[in-house]
Amino acid sequence: MRAPAIVLEHLRKIYGKLIAVDDLSLEIQKGEFFGLLGPNGAGKTTTINAIVGLVKPTSGRILVNGLDAARDYRQVHRWVGIAFQELILDGSFLNVREILVYQAGYFGIPPRRAGPQADRLLRKFGLWEKRSAKVQELSGGQKRRLVLAKALVHDPEILILDEPTAGADVEMRLQLWEMLQELHSQGKTILLTTHYLEEAERLCERVGILYRGRLALLGAPEQLARQHGQAHLEEIFLELIRSERS
Amino acid sequence: MTGFLTLLRREIVRFLKDAIDTIAPPAVAIVLFLLVFGVGLGPRLGEVHGMPYIQFMTPGLLLLAIARNAFLNPAYSLFQSRWFGNIADFLVSPLSLEQIALAIILGGVARGIFVGALVVGAAWVLTGLVVAHPLWTLAYALAAATAFAGLGCLVGLWTRGWEGVGAIDTFVLDPLVMLGGVFYSLEMVRGIPIIEPLTALNPFTYITEGFRAVVLGGAPSHALIGFGLTMGLGVIFVGASLVLFRVGYHLKA
Repeated sequence: MRAPAIVLEHLRKIYGKLIAVDDLSLEIQKGEFFGLLGPNGAGKTTTINAIVGLVKPTSGRILVNGLDAARDYRQVHRWVGIAFQELILDGSFLNVREILVYQAGYFGIPPRRAGPQADRLLRKFGLWEKRSAKVQELSGGQKRRLVLAKALVHDPEILILDEPTAGADVEMRLQLWEMLQELHSQGKTILLTTHYLEEAERLCERVGILYRGRLALLGAPEQLARQHGQAHLEEIFLELIRSERS
Repeated sequence: MTGFLTLLRREIVRFLKDAIDTIAPPAVAIVLFLLVFGVGLGPRLGEVHGMPYIQFMTPGLLLLAIARNAFLNPAYSLFQSRWFGNIADFLVSPLSLEQIALAIILGGVARGIFVGALVVGAAWVLTGLVVAHPLWTLAYALAAATAFAGLGCLVGLWTRGWEGVGAIDTFVLDPLVMLGGVFYSLEMVRGIPIIEPLTALNPFTYITEGFRAVVLGGAPSHALIGFGLTMGLGVIFVGASLVLFRVGYHLKA
């Protein structure tokens, strides 16, 4: 049994009258590739934003490597890298390489190490030729890869990816899947949110399906398929939505 | 410390790389004031408190340049980061929330002092300005820049739209400055309805008079009152910024 990397204890987030996350308890083990699935508005992004401190939980607790994510946020942030769904890049005056060097700096990596680290990631993610370009000059796919490189710039042991392949074409999606599998093979814990159930089936050891803020299903994709007598997560997902609506 | 210094460097690089939009307009405006009132109208305006009008006015213009630039940098930088979402880059890093606030405020202080230095150079060329107490002037300028950068940080946190920063600049900062002793002293408006009470109640009046005293070598009592007031405002604005960052005001959902 691996030790938990992320523990959510009765996590709850309410915005006005909307319950975005409702009593969510979950453990993600160290080195695990975990998928958080669910339709729009299920609470996936709220949950991962709560882990990195961008959302204040209404109640409940989040532990990362045993530390309270709210109280010990500085140490927790050293362990975690996050790639947001929106392609948010500080590109008004920084070029592609500078974005990575500055991001490394925020994580305490001195310039003499930040530059080589940025260069290594630029080559790895096929952005070397664009290192002096502004963000506005990048294609959607290049921006997506830069966002991922940014999340990895401090070599985190836990990687959180919010819809990393949203809007990507088939070729790019396959490339990103290979990269994620490589990172997982290096021992990184990966928490992925996705709409693409095929992506979750292919990459994730376990998945949790959120519906209206609650954890509706949890298990390995093949185990869930067996339990529900369905061949794919997609069918289980549709069955779940139909049963919740009826 | 590397994280803090990186963010501070970002704040400084931001205004240096965008100098045409950030540094040039206020610097040019101040130089135009010096040209019009100093080189142009100066000889016809006579003396104020025993000195040429341009000499009287220059410290106020210098303080105005420092205060406005120190205010604008954190206000726009912070709101821009909130608006575009890249504030998350700092918030998910190991930087403490207080470090983020301080780096943003110090970026404003750096811009205020940078533009202030440009204005001193221009004033030296155009009016022959010689600073009477350089170290006191620097300390006063740093205190003023910190206070107004703290105010800028608060505005950058508070506003929900681009117009918020402009509104504070136009409806708060401009009246404070125009009625705050940059162009005249409190003594000169004694007995004038509306103007005298507005000037007398305006803290910027005493800050300007104190700054004029350290730049030109005036009464130490003016300098102490103004410096104390500036420090007090600095503690309030910077302290409030730190508290609001700590609670995640307009930063965390």
